[in-house]
Amino acid sequence: MNRTQTHRQHPPNAKSTHDTMVDGHVTIAELEKEYESGDERTTAIEDFSVTVPSGEFLGVVGPSGCGKSTLLYLVAGFLEQTTGTIAVDGDPIDGPGTDRGVVFQDYALFPWRTVMGNVTYGLEEKGVGKEERRATAQRFIDMMDLDGFEDKYPKELSGGMKQRVALARTLAYDPKILLMDEPFGALDQPLRESLQDHLIDIWRELEKTVIFITHDVEEAVYLSERVLIMTRHPGTKKTTVDIELDRTQPREELVLSDEYTATKNDVWQSLREETTPGGEH
Amino acid sequence: MSYADFRLETVAETIPNPFRRVVRFVFEWIPIAIVAGLWELASGTAVSSEILPPPSAVFAVSWELLVSGRILPHLQVSLYRIGVGLGLSIVVGVALGVGMARVKPIENFFEVFLALIYPVPKAALVPLAILWLGIGTETAILIVFLACLLPIVLNSYNAARNVDRNLIWSARMMGMPAWKLPIKIVVPATIPSILTGIRQAIPIAFIALVSAELIASNRGVGFEILRHGQIGNYTSMFAVLVVISGTAFVAVRGYEWLERRVVTWT
Repeated sequence: MNRTQTHRQHPPNAKSTHDTMVDGHVTIAELEKEYESGDERTTAIEDFSVTVPSGEFLGVVGPSGCGKSTLLYLVAGFLEQTTGTIAVDGDPIDGPGTDRGVVFQDYALFPWRTVMGNVTYGLEEKGVGKEERRATAQRFIDMMDLDGFEDKYPKELSGGMKQRVALARTLAYDPKILLMDEPFGALDQPLRESLQDHLIDIWRELEKTVIFITHDVEEAVYLSERVLIMTRHPGTKKTTVDIELDRTQPREELVLSDEYTATKNDVWQSLREETTPGGEH
Repeated sequence: MSYADFRLETVAETIPNPFRRVVRFVFEWIPIAIVAGLWELASGTAVSSEILPPPSAVFAVSWELLVSGRILPHLQVSLYRIGVGLGLSIVVGVALGVGMARVKPIENFFEVFLALIYPVPKAALVPLAILWLGIGTETAILIVFLACLLPIVLNSYNAARNVDRNLIWSARMMGMPAWKLPIKIVVPATIPSILTGIRQAIPIAFIALVSAELIASNRGVGFEILRHGQIGNYTSMFAVLVVISGTAFVAVRGYEWLERRVVTWT
């Protein structure tokens, strides 16, 4: 498959087509997260509210140290908020759950398990039988172009392949919501682009809600239907920008279009206001 | 080819494979050969060959001990003691190390305890062990067990404490309940360090074994050293030492070989 030819068909006005009544919508209200170390209290996230409708691809950008990852891990249920609520389909979350799947920047594959063993992991925990487990896993291994590598261990794979295994592992147990923490940040440009297009295909095919953390404005604008920009410190929602692009064009045309450049500049300007005062970037 | 490409490894790769192994083997053993050569020269000249028998004689006796089978019953007893002592220390050590890393009260209880035990030479416990267990196998096993316990506990404790947070989180997000984490995630993630701990423990097991058998045994290789020494047969005494050292060497190399083949994912 030639991924650079992928045509994307985001609806022109994304928000209106996403139904907040269908599975996989996330509501974050008045979220606050404080870290305590000794006598010191640091507020990582403050006064953060956003609603992510079912099936939306939301990009989150912000200056480094703004709490983007903290936000994602709160939604994942790995961390506990100080105040506020996070709800999936109206139910407040209580710790990690299989309705949400995280893809980490450092892949976090189980080194003692093969590709197949990693991808079947979530299904094992769900109690799916062996035959079905393998069949389902194989489907996602194929989807990620990993066929032939089923019996390899993570150490034998390149970074790009590891990230595809990680994505397959998360998709295999079918979470409604994908939480991605700079998943392509450690990869080089061509690999990153190919995985971005791969992700868009998957997102469209499987109709997942995606919250995608990145520090790369281009990546956020290229992938997302909506980009959320976070303030510097403490992290809070500065604004969200709807990305309305003609997604029927292939990547090479899209990235050269005036509307793409204009949107990208808007997001970049907004983010730059957050990064310049401290002067460290 | 630029100068930067011209390295010894590049040259080494041009040597055919079987030959390369021979070269490596020779280089590995050159230091031993030098020491043995100097020892051979010193024996009978600088030092009396009575108290420093020449290595040629020592190696000949070592060979004879093995071929005639005279040392084998002792070796068998000693290896059994090491096997049981080391095996127990692996089971207890890993459980304790992982337990300490994951459960705060266990950590609090054993941390100080281990810190106090660590500097105590395990040989110093032999008289006490005799008091509890008498002369023989149980005492030797206890000493081997105690000596091997520390490297294994410390290696598994440190590794289990530093298991990549994202591995734990990955398992949790896939629906694993927290109580399963130690067995399903922490132990496998800790295996490389556990294996390192065991490798460190093998030579320590031999040290502990001999120190126990020198005092608290009437069989085993340690006892044989003592026996030959007492009757003034220093060549045989050295020869038994060589057998012990060689056995430990083979044990470590064999373990490493096994490790590479069994645990292929590290």
